Amino acid sequence: MSEEPVLRLDGLTKRFGNRVALSGVTFSVERSEYVGLFGPSGAGKTTLLRAIAGFDVPDAGRIYLAGRDITHKPAHERGIGFVFQNFALFPHLSVMDNVAFGLRNGIKRMPEPEVRSHALEVIELVGLKGLEDRGIGQISGGQKQRVALARTLVIRPRLVLLDEPLGALDANLRLRMRAELRRIREQLQIPFLHVTGNETEALAMGDRLIVLDQGRIGQLGTPEEVYNRPASANVARFLNRYNVFDGVLQNGSFASAYGHFPYGMRVAGQKPAYAIRYDRVIAKEKDAVSHGPVVRANYIASEYLGAAIVHFFQTNDLKVVEVEHHLSNGPPETFAEGCTYDLTWKPDDGIVFG
Amino acid sequence: MIESRVLKPALALYVVLFLLFLYGPFVVLGILSFQQGPEGGPQFPITQWSIFWYKHILGLAPPSRVSPLPIGISLVRSLTLAGLTMITSTVLGVMAAQAFRRNFRGKAAAFYLIVLGMIVPGVLVGLGSALVATTTGIERHWWSTAFATHVVYTLPFAFLVMLAIFNRFDASVEEASWSLGVPPARTFRKVTFPLIFPGVLSAMLFAFTLSYDEFARTLFSSGREQTLPLAIYATFSVEIHPNVFAFGVLTTLFSFALLAVYAILMSLSVRRAKQVAIQEAIQ
Amino acid sequence: MALYLAETPGIPPAETVDGSVETRTPRRAVSSYLLIAPAVVWMTLFLVIPMAMIVYVSFWTQTTFKIEPILTLDSWETFFSSGTYVNSLWTTLRIWLIVLTATFVFGYPTALFVGLFVKNKTLQTTLLVLCVIPFWTSFLIRVLAWRPMLGKEGAINILLLKAGIVHQPIEALLFTDLSVVIGMTQIYVVFMVGPIAFMLGRIDPNILEAARDLGANFWQILRKIIFPLSLPGVVVGAMFVSVMVLGEFATSAALSGRKVNLLGNIIVTQVGSLKWALASVVGVILTIIMGLVIAGLLRIVDLKQEL
Repeated sequence: MSEEPVLRLDGLTKRFGNRVALSGVTFSVERSEYVGLFGPSGAGKTTLLRAIAGFDVPDAGRIYLAGRDITHKPAHERGIGFVFQNFALFPHLSVMDNVAFGLRNGIKRMPEPEVRSHALEVIELVGLKGLEDRGIGQISGGQKQRVALARTLVIRPRLVLLDEPLGALDANLRLRMRAELRRIREQLQIPFLHVTGNETEALAMGDRLIVLDQGRIGQLGTPEEVYNRPASANVARFLNRYNVFDGVLQNGSFASAYGHFPYGMRVAGQKPAYAIRYDRVIAKEKDAVSHGPVVRANYIASEYLGAAIVHFFQTNDLKVVEVEHHLSNGPPETFAEGCTYDLTWKPDDGIVFG
Repeated sequence: MIESRVLKPALALYVVLFLLFLYGPFVVLGILSFQQGPEGGPQFPITQWSIFWYKHILGLAPPSRVSPLPIGISLVRSLTLAGLTMITSTVLGVMAAQAFRRNFRGKAAAFYLIVLGMIVPGVLVGLGSALVATTTGIERHWWSTAFATHVVYTLPFAFLVMLAIFNRFDASVEEASWSLGVPPARTFRKVTFPLIFPGVLSAMLFAFTLSYDEFARTLFSSGREQTLPLAIYATFSVEIHPNVFAFGVLTTLFSFALLAVYAILMSLSVRRAKQVAIQEAIQ
Repeated sequence: MALYLAETPGIPPAETVDGSVETRTPRRAVSSYLLIAPAVVWMTLFLVIPMAMIVYVSFWTQTTFKIEPILTLDSWETFFSSGTYVNSLWTTLRIWLIVLTATFVFGYPTALFVGLFVKNKTLQTTLLVLCVIPFWTSFLIRVLAWRPMLGKEGAINILLLKAGIVHQPIEALLFTDLSVVIGMTQIYVVFMVGPIAFMLGRIDPNILEAARDLGANFWQILRKIIFPLSLPGVVVGAMFVSVMVLGEFATSAALSGRKVNLLGNIIVTQVGSLKWALASVVGVILTIIMGLVIAGLLRIVDLKQEL
């Protein structure tokens, strides 16, 4: 069935004074998707979201909602839901009044009994049954999060935008809400466009990821694609999973400050760089036998992450190389502080850009 | 802190003296209001303590050669004028402050124009409006010409208060309302206004107080019927009696009462608009 | 799923896109203009036009009780050729300077104490409120209240006599320049204390600590750090006080018994005798003085930046 994508962006550009916040952003979102919008701070994620919502007007480009050009429509005529990072709940209204607000004050009028029943339905959907009459100041952060979501879902938007919705929650709550958001979206079959600066969250949430790099799209793909085949050195950096080396591509291998690195995968048309995942690097004794590239570095410290340990090494010219060891692969090795080790990996695991 | 041991107590003592200086006349005024009447004059010594003058103010004293202050009707006029001014300048001030949330051509000029109203002294504005009235043949009344001049004076204050309120206002609740399909006008009524209401209340109180006591501007523009400050001013050149002092004490108490009412209204409305839309980004 | 890359062919990169599709929907700008219009109209009608009238009428011809729009410099001549009137100009400037200095000298230490030395926020607010409470007594009554303080049989003289500090009542306290200055200072000093205390309260105590650590003593810190940082407050206070003092007439009327004639007094009396043209001349002079004072004060500190 070919139908118009729910959301389509075409060359969206936004400037603030001299700074270009968004540049030629183009992509589309289908009805059945949970799309994660990911990138470091300053990449333009919130700007993009606000432009789609209609809070800011782009300088160039077009936005289409279900085929209609909404680029210059004011926010209240777009039918796009928005969940704010700070929830933006109406402090002077109760939970029920917050959720029912759009139904009571929007353009189409609905009789009050219908309003209440719809609102209660959504309140139950997000798991807040029984709390309708509480004031906003009387509920917890996680509950506020759900009210913000319910408020937006009840008006049956075509698309829901979420701006770092889990940022204000503590870690435990965040994990639970991640699952909740997916469940709710599945049930309602409304596309979600979820902005996050957290790479773990991005990889976990989305059916598809959009990686934003300084106002441009760095990569579009499934989490698996982005994780295993980053489209540029920047994307690799954002994922916080890759060691990235500078250098040039020369005669079939990568010439870096630490020697020549053979590689397994090549991504053409990018600024030259070499990336190897933290968990593909092995630390060996100095001068041990290796069949791949070798980077000599001194051990600094280790970080215990629960299911894995990350070891930090530093080369003589102060580049930090991280080595991740998953504890299911065996007990961790111990390293002596300040001592020098050889870091190596299988050439096939290396990705070269350029 | 710095030189706390010597300087702080010295300054503290100074501040005490300073406050005495500020309150001195009022204390004297209060004492003298209990002067014997009707022969007692507005100076020391107190020949005899009595509450004659308070009775005189309220019209309860036996007639004497001291004519009563024309309070009754002029008080009503003052209050009405203050009320009208309060409402008009607050409405205009809120609208202007709302306009100032965006950029527009002539924004700076509009700002200076509005603020000009509080900088130009009453005597000049009064003179100007009297001139306009005389040359164009418009009659001067407290409810027309004086009213216009009062608003000129109080509008900048209301405006600045609302500017400060909007400065601290987190607009994301408004954006949330729009995203729910609620048009901007409705959003202002249902979301913005309830949340800025404490500020509006402050602006209203400010405007009322300024207008109620305003004298220089009214002198020129109110025509024949007097407001309260004018009535008092009229007694300046004539002999002064302690009834004015009793009146002073009463008006101060009235001001206290006004402030108490305001404080109660404030705490009620602040409790309603609890987080006053200053929602922290991260809790 | 196809991979879209950053520069899709056919869509030019941002830097070469010229102008734009309209950046702001026109309707947004319109609403701003509509909202600001009433205030602007009101101020223009009831402030700007009256002020313009003052300038205009100052050049009109004055007959006994009427004025006519025949332009002449008569009233201007009348003003500048009369000793009394010119004197009032100097008196006004003199009183203004004295009161300005007095409010600064007497107000600064209080502001220093409240803004800098008092740590407790509640105490700070309480003290400021205490300073403001006297305002709740009607302005005129406050002015009047000085009479029984300052007269020969006034409270101050009584106290001084009782304390044996003087043996004869000080006559100069009432109905002189001094009485006007005292009255005005007391009434307007709060307008100095407020802004200065506000600016002082914003000084980061760490800066002062650092200065101490570097060996500065209090007076150096006061001169080089505290005072300059409080300057915007001083300027704002000076503007408030100046505007009010220059426009004054009630205090001088009540406390000096006609001896001290300020420009404001002249306007009032001339209007009383329907001498509109002369009153307007004085009005223009007063406006010019105020304009100069404010412009001068604004030069000291770039207020927009500081506040």
